[in-house]
Parts: sequence; structure tokens; C-alpha cells
Amino acid sequence: MRSAAAAVVGIGEVPSGRFSERTEIEAAIIAAREAILDAGLSPRDIDVVMPTGALASRHFNVDLIFSRICEELGMLRSASMNVQVMAGGGSSSSLLALAEALVATGAARTVLCLHSDRVGSLPKQAGTDLFATTGVSEEWEAPYGHNMNAVGALVSRRYMHETGTTEEELAAVCVSLRKWAALNPHAMLRTPLSVEEVLASRMIADPLRAKHCNMLADGASAFIVAAAGEARQMTKTPVYVRGHASLVTHYSLSQDTDLAHLGFPEAARRAYAQSGLTPADIQLAEIYDSYPVFALIAMDALGLCGGMRAGSFVAAGHTSPGGVMPMTTNGGMLAQGHTGAGGGVAVLVEAFRQLMGKAGERQVPNLVNAVETASGGTWMDSHVTVLSKEVR
Amino acid sequence: MAQPIPTPTRWSAPYWQAAREGRLMIQGCKSCNRLIMYPKPFCPTCLGEDLDWRPSEGKGEVYTVTVQRAGAPSGFEDQVPYVLAVVKLDEGVQLMTRLVGDDAESANCGDRVTVDFQQAPGADVVLPVFRLAKQASGPQGGKP
Repeated sequence: MRSAAAAVVGIGEVPSGRFSERTEIEAAIIAAREAILDAGLSPRDIDVVMPTGALASRHFNVDLIFSRICEELGMLRSASMNVQVMAGGGSSSSLLALAEALVATGAARTVLCLHSDRVGSLPKQAGTDLFATTGVSEEWEAPYGHNMNAVGALVSRRYMHETGTTEEELAAVCVSLRKWAALNPHAMLRTPLSVEEVLASRMIADPLRAKHCNMLADGASAFIVAAAGEARQMTKTPVYVRGHASLVTHYSLSQDTDLAHLGFPEAARRAYAQSGLTPADIQLAEIYDSYPVFALIAMDALGLCGGMRAGSFVAAGHTSPGGVMPMTTNGGMLAQGHTGAGGGVAVLVEAFRQLMGKAGERQVPNLVNAVETASGGTWMDSHVTVLSKEVR
Repeated sequence: MAQPIPTPTRWSAPYWQAAREGRLMIQGCKSCNRLIMYPKPFCPTCLGEDLDWRPSEGKGEVYTVTVQRAGAPSGFEDQVPYVLAVVKLDEGVQLMTRLVGDDAESANCGDRVTVDFQQAPGADVVLPVFRLAKQASGPQGGKP
């Protein structure tokens, strides 16, 4: 077991939803400012600004690339580098892994990671069309009418075929997430949801119905990474990065030969080994969930279901508030909202928030270690990160 | 907005030309003998540049499948319901495709399928599609 090299020392976030009056830059600055203040730092303490990509507005995305955050937040001639790290839904774990490497080598003392986007305010068809290009081959898949809901559906069908998971169990994931979202003031969908309501909703792409699918949202979140050795001087509640592993399994979905597992079994094994922790040490799972099947694939691989199939484990209520393995306690993309690349950043920030003891009404008690997952595009990569209150 | 159609590249043009002639071809590497799907400028296994084309039997099985009933991307709104599938050919490679025919919506993972060819609406492009094998297709299907 190695001692952690990096820690997260501050977090910030704005509510997810549809906010026609809130611009991307305003949301980004609110989230970044909150993270800087949460870490007890000033803007000129930030060495590297690392925004991820925004999808709804090309102009705003270019602003993120070209240092607008540094100018808006008073980091001119103090920040050494502003560099975009974009891996779609995998950006959360990728940002953390790269920031960890920078502080571990001493190349940076502090890294501000952030996301802001307004995909929720896009017209509905524009949202569908945008996500029909994110990891979908223009020559080999788009001409057949492939799209993101079909990605979720095709993976669900294969997973159900191999594991015997039912539509009711997929629906149970949405129900569990909605219970957590009811406790999260930043969540978009906070009203209770039943398995029956999911199964009565309109069929979109068999077996996925409307309420199995995520809802696009506007949102922003941010976190600050520092060297583990300096973290205690900045905050009383550092969260240490104990292990991270990931594996790229495809670009186009049709080229993946193991859709029922993706790269999660190998990523989980390597991340646990690096952390020195085992599934028995984990009290919280923050899982990238843009469709229910991806939560189940990750939970199977992470070994957190007590030997049960993930679908039956979730349907038994074990991942809901009060359950033995709380899962995605902000409500995830299926309830807090899918903000683009930021859906995963919000899940990661929720892991930090819980480990910092700042999760309010939904705080998981007696928490020491948590695991987080992410994936981008059409689940091109499988990321697993192990986080802890303890440095080793 | 029209349905997106493939724009052939220097290395994929023979695939699309063969489809127009009712043949499914798989790119192969003459150096390491691996099959390559979809076509690529170099062999992704050995980076070899000496590539050729090999006829597929046009038979395989459904790896996974869905029936798109709503929420289709622009250009496909009038085509719902349509059946999207990943097919694994008997030669071992996979491709995104559609299942067509009266029983296509009943397809399951593992079902046997045979290739057929369909003109893309309003375009001079022919897309390889598949039919469930128990429903025999016309003389063209599956006989490259």
C-alpha cells in the first residue's frame, strides 16, 4: 500500500436544472469561487486551472480553453497554466488523475478543476442530435440512426441477456437515485418515483423507457487538488486519492466485445490494489449512472453487492438512503441531471462532499472510504477511483 | 434535416462499392492476416500498410439489439420504429447495423442473421443490413 500523493481540499457547485437566466460563465465562476473559498485559498494560490469541455456552446468552450477563468477570477500572472482536459463523461476521473500527477511530481502545488455547461437549455431535438455525435462513428454508425439512448439500450440488452437482470431491476436503480435526489437541493428531479411509474412511461429504445433515461441539465461544479503533504494546512477535511485505474475499451460501441462488463472489472481490481483497500473497506459508491445499466455493471465489478447480482441488490433497497451500500447520493445523472461532461464531475464532487462530512441531510454516517466511477462517450473508458479520509 | 449518409474515404471506398454490388467485404491485413472491421488506413494490430479485401459469408449472430421507438436523431424521425443491432459475423468481427424484415423487432441476443442490402433514402449509398436467418431473404442476401 502506498501513501496518497494528492488530496482534494475544496469543492463548489451550483444547482442542476434548466436556468435560462444563468450563463455558463456565471455558473463556472460561482462554482470555482466556492471551491477556492472552501479550501481557504485565494485565487492567486491556484497554480493550474484545468477546465473540462463544454458541449452546448462552442464559444464558451473556447473561452474555457483560452484562460477566461483565470481572467475572471484574478489569476493573471499567477496561474502557470490553463489547460482543458476533455474526456466526456470520463472527464471527472481524468481531471483528478492528471491533477494528482501534477501535484505528486511537484509540477503544481494546487490545481483547480471545473466544469460548466448548459446542455439542459438546448432544444430537445438539438440535445438528441448533439449526443448522437459523442462517440458515434459518422461513417459506420450514424447512417443507421444510432444515438445515445440506443447506446444505453444496446448495453442494457446485452447485460440483461448475460445476467438475467429484469426491467424492474433497471427501474429500481432510478427509484434509488430519486430517493437520494429528494435529499439534494442541487438536484433537478426531486419528486418520488416508483418502479411502476418507470415501467408505465413511454418506450424509447427497448428495453429503456423515458424514465430509465437521463434528463439533460445545466450545471457547474469545481474541486481543488493539492499535494497530500500540504492538504492539512489548507483544510480540516482533506479527501485523499488512494487509487485510480482505467481502461479504454472502444471508440464506437459496435467494436466492444464485452458490453456486459466493459473495462470495469480490470479497473476495479487495479484501483483496489493500488489503494491497499478491498470492497469490505468501502462504505459508499458514487457511480457514473447516465443509464441504469451502467450503475449495475460498475456495482458488479466493484464487489459491493455482498455476492448478490447488482440488479437484485439495488431492487432490495440496499443502495437507497439507510441501505448497507449507499450509491450515488446526489441522485446522479438520472436525478440530479446530466450536465454533459459535468454529470460525472458532480458525482465525483459528491464523493468529496460526503467524505468531507458536508452532505447535510443525506450525509452517510461513519464514512471513511468511498469508490467513484466514470465513463465517457459511448462508455469508451472505465474509470475506478478509491478515495479516503485517511492518507494511508 | 436529411439522414446522415457515409462519406467514403480512400480506404473505405471499396467497402461501400461492394455493398452497392450486394457484397459484404471485410478488410484484411496481408502482413499479420488479421481481419479489420470497420476499414482502416493501416492495420490496427501490426500497423501494416499492405491491406486487401476478403468476401464475408454474410452470416453471423446478434450480439445486441434494440428497437428505437422514439427520440430518434434528426433525419430518422419518420423511420421509427427501427431495429438497431450490433452483429458479430462468423468471421469474428462486429459491426453496427439494422435488422430488417417483419420479425426484426422480435430479435434477441444470439439470434442467427444473414446480410442483406438497403439503399439509404434519397442517396446513392447502399447500407449492409441483416435479416433473421429463419426468414429467408431474396437471392441476393448472404451470397457475396
